Amino acid sequence: MVPPMPSVPFNLSDRRILAVDDDRVNLRILRGILTKEGYTAAEANTGERALELYAEFRPHLVLLDVMMSGIDGFETCRRLKSKYGEKCAPIIFVTAKNDSEDVVEGLAAGGADYLPKPFQPKEVAARIRTHLQNQYLAEQQYLLVDQLSKANAAKNRFLGMAAHDLRNPLASIRGISEFLKAGTVGPMTPDQLDLIETIHSASQSMLQMVNELLDVATIEAGELKVNLKSEALDKLVSKCVALTNMEAAKKETRINFEAPTESVNLRIDLAKMRQVVDNLLSNSVKYSPPGSIITALIWRSDAETHCNFAIRDQGPGIPDDERDKLFKDFGRLSVQPTGGEKSTGLGLAICRKIVEAHGGTIVAENLPDGGCEFRVSLPIT
Amino acid sequence: MNFAGKILLVDDEAHIRKYVSLIIKQLGKTTLFEAANGEDAIAAFQRERPQVVLLDVNMPKLGGIETLKRLKAIDPDCIVIMLTSLTNRETVEQALEHGAAHYIRKDTPKEEIAAALTETIDSATSPS
Repeated sequence: MVPPMPSVPFNLSDRRILAVDDDRVNLRILRGILTKEGYTAAEANTGERALELYAEFRPHLVLLDVMMSGIDGFETCRRLKSKYGEKCAPIIFVTAKNDSEDVVEGLAAGGADYLPKPFQPKEVAARIRTHLQNQYLAEQQYLLVDQLSKANAAKNRFLGMAAHDLRNPLASIRGISEFLKAGTVGPMTPDQLDLIETIHSASQSMLQMVNELLDVATIEAGELKVNLKSEALDKLVSKCVALTNMEAAKKETRINFEAPTESVNLRIDLAKMRQVVDNLLSNSVKYSPPGSIITALIWRSDAETHCNFAIRDQGPGIPDDERDKLFKDFGRLSVQPTGGEKSTGLGLAICRKIVEAHGGTIVAENLPDGGCEFRVSLPIT
Repeated sequence: MNFAGKILLVDDEAHIRKYVSLIIKQLGKTTLFEAANGEDAIAAFQRERPQVVLLDVNMPKLGGIETLKRLKAIDPDCIVIMLTSLTNRETVEQALEHGAAHYIRKDTPKEEIAAALTETIDSATSPS
């Protein structure tokens, strides 16, 4: 559940402001302005003291004099910014040195704004209010992003658990239906066989979907680890092609693998890369019309820095306006499988993440004569 | 499968027991016993003294790894094959460290389960 964006409160009087100036009179004037607005104020008369006080007081905003003995305002600002980073309170320089060069230096040091001396109390109050409001919004945004990423992690845990728990029952259903189909427990009538066939194929595709969901949950939780070893990519592709061709035969489709003349050894995670190759091959069959000829090929880039693996299908190609969705989670396109096959829309997202974990890239391009080429490029190391 | 002795099948999910027992029955003349958790598995093991145990990892009462340790303490020669639902490398390593002969993922196709069982059991029971 996404919490609604909080509205900016009119009352910012619980905010803490640190005023830094080596001139007592200036500090007194600032204190007057700040207390009148209802802020809690703390004061420092040197940059060094300001750094100490910042850590204790944790102000929401800092008013910082530039010319001070010891470290000056710009240096104080730089130190605060480097110590507290993005979470540092906005810093407004208060300075009589208000020619443009100083302003530039102050802003470059990380200042949010500057106020010229002598002070115009109303201007000071108005500027402070604006910065506090911005800062409040930024704070809320941090909070929101934090909540969202926690919610996302919880969703992934849930997804992982659900997928994991669904897997065993599905494996049993699939396996037991295979026994029934094979007549292990007695003969079946043709009608019964037809029903069992349906149970079998439904459980098979559900198992695949659940596995893909689990992959996404694992990958999103940052648990995708590749175990790289030197392997022959062409051998892997050749094996995958042979297996996919058995399925493809049902659609009278055929994948031709144009193997490279010499073997290509790459540092890859064999199981994960097999997943990528299998997925791309089965997609090419899924989306090409029955009777298609699909080509798989491997070649080295001209500079021999990369190895490319491509699959050219005879499908409808990728509609231009859907190109962005292709490699994203649940990015199912309007293009439909040609044999009623199922798709979770997760396969290519998983492929992309696996390929990227190998330091490679994956792209899809429509071919001039129709069909589409999916190309994986992996570094040769 | 050449092996024709006793096998104990341990899994808390009844459908898995049913499914895996169908696979085992196909493989040859073995006598099959079942248990639904680690505690029952140890009792059944002591009663029946099977040569082979197929053991689930995640179970209530007594988990697979702990059950494995206890079975090995009772009979160091028993052949234990872990049934896993995920190849969690750590769990598998732990199981192998404690003397499991092999592990099989329950969601692999039944032909592969059958082949892995046959190979592991026959090679572990054949006189060397």
